[in-house]
Amino acid sequence: MNWVFLWLRALGFSATVPGIPLIALACISLFVILPSCALIAYLDRKLSADLQARVGPCRTGYRGMLQPVADCVKLLQKNSMHSQTLGELLWMLLHTMALYASLAAIPLGSLAMMVDTQMSVFIPFWSALVLALGTMLLGLGQYTTPGWLGGIRTAAQSLAGTFPSLIGILCVGMHAGSFRWSALAASQGFLHWTMFAHPFLLLAFVVFVGGGLVLLAIAPLDGGLAMSDIHGGVAVHVTGRQLALFQFGRFYGFFIWSVMTVVLFMGAWRIPESLRSWFLALDAEVCISVVELTWLLLKTYVLMLFILWIARANPRARVDQITDFSWGVLGPLALVALVGTAFWTMV
Amino acid sequence: MMYFRRSVFIALFWYLHSIVKSSLSIAGSCFATLPYLLRIGESRKEVTDGYPDPISSKTADDLPPRSRGLLFNDIERCTGCGDCEHVCPAGCIEVASEPGAHDSRIWVSVFDVDFSRCVFCGLCVDICQPMSLVHTRQYEGAAYQLEDLVASFGRGQVTEEQREKWHLARQRLSAPQEGA
Ligand code: SF4
Ligand code: SF4
Repeated sequence: MNWVFLWLRALGFSATVPGIPLIALACISLFVILPSCALIAYLDRKLSADLQARVGPCRTGYRGMLQPVADCVKLLQKNSMHSQTLGELLWMLLHTMALYASLAAIPLGSLAMMVDTQMSVFIPFWSALVLALGTMLLGLGQYTTPGWLGGIRTAAQSLAGTFPSLIGILCVGMHAGSFRWSALAASQGFLHWTMFAHPFLLLAFVVFVGGGLVLLAIAPLDGGLAMSDIHGGVAVHVTGRQLALFQFGRFYGFFIWSVMTVVLFMGAWRIPESLRSWFLALDAEVCISVVELTWLLLKTYVLMLFILWIARANPRARVDQITDFSWGVLGPLALVALVGTAFWTMV
Repeated sequence: MMYFRRSVFIALFWYLHSIVKSSLSIAGSCFATLPYLLRIGESRKEVTDGYPDPISSKTADDLPPRSRGLLFNDIERCTGCGDCEHVCPAGCIEVASEPGAHDSRIWVSVFDVDFSRCVFCGLCVDICQPMSLVHTRQYEGAAYQLEDLVASFGRGQVTEEQREKWHLARQRLSAPQEGA
């Protein structure tokens, strides 16, 4: 939590303001997660329009840059069309829980970490699972055919995606010797990334990202929310504010999975050692946290845009193809990566 | 030996082969979109048009020549044949007709198009023999109530008095002919 103290000191406050953890959580969600959500939503729409020879958003602000804000304001004005069922209420609770429980454990730089335990990696992983559970319950609670099918598909997908991605994490843990964020970052350098350490870790990287896409039902592999055959699945009867929350939750899952991937495989937040010691010599720790955060987010955005590129250029996979792919391809490859990493670490 | 090779190694080969093949296909379609992103070449321009309204400074006249707007039926020419009703894939046209002023004339009493279901496929316009049913250039048809989306072009049911008048008129017209 010391980064909040750093900022408070840099801004001229005393470090004894009450409610610091809350301030920290609010800062993370307001200044990191929300802007990232808006940025990626905008880039997704604009770049996919470019890829498909369309225009994309062009009315709101310069080149439609305010489109995410406009979307959000529009959704917040709308009331839900239906009264809430018990299942939907349960989903809301789970959703909010998943959203805020793992905020404290997001790794955003060496100084900007609030919780770092032996099991750090599994906290966001757990929140991704809760998100999948919430989506499933929302679908099953709707008593409509698309919602119900979407719920079943979400359950099947998250089950299929968990297994390979969990093994992907184990490979990295075996390589780095710990599941602590700090230890995982310490095992990498500025350009010395875990995914390039040896071929099995590259395989583990692919498996981890693919498993995450299946688990969270993200763009190319989102059978549980398919528009064409089940009219949007779980999302079909979610409207207005609930839809805003639902979309935000899905984005949050995507974002946190990408941050995890960057920290596990792509050099975490490590900046060149010389730069870091230069900042330390200047006693500018705030600068360190800003530069580290920027570098980490930059890599995260590139990864997300890469995934969205694949998603927009390829047709959506059918739901049975997705689960087949996860169990039949990612699963065995994950085991190969695990065995390979084990041998490589021993030798 | 043969059986062994077929069962394990060849199966493994085809398994890896299909993985590599599908990865290459995914990468292929990704790279196929790159020229569009980077705007290389002539054919890479946007294929869509701006929505016609004051912001894009386009009007309904700028719509493509064959664009299909809301439907309009010129009820004077409509023969009430019901072809459009039969051909409509969305089942959103309702036609009812009855005998008109003359035995040779048809009175189209009901002609309702439910735009909440219409997909603007244009089949009804294609099949209309007297070409009474046309697409207009109007493209904005939002309404607050679902019922407001039903457009009625029919002349309405013929009342008994009207029928009586027609009957008398027909008699008056035919009587002098008989006398001459
Ligand atoms: S609109 Fe055309 S096709 Fe339809 S009933 Fe009238 S004449 Fe027949
Ligand atoms: S345009 Fe197509 S869907 Fe609409 S009324 Fe005509 S036939 Fe039916």
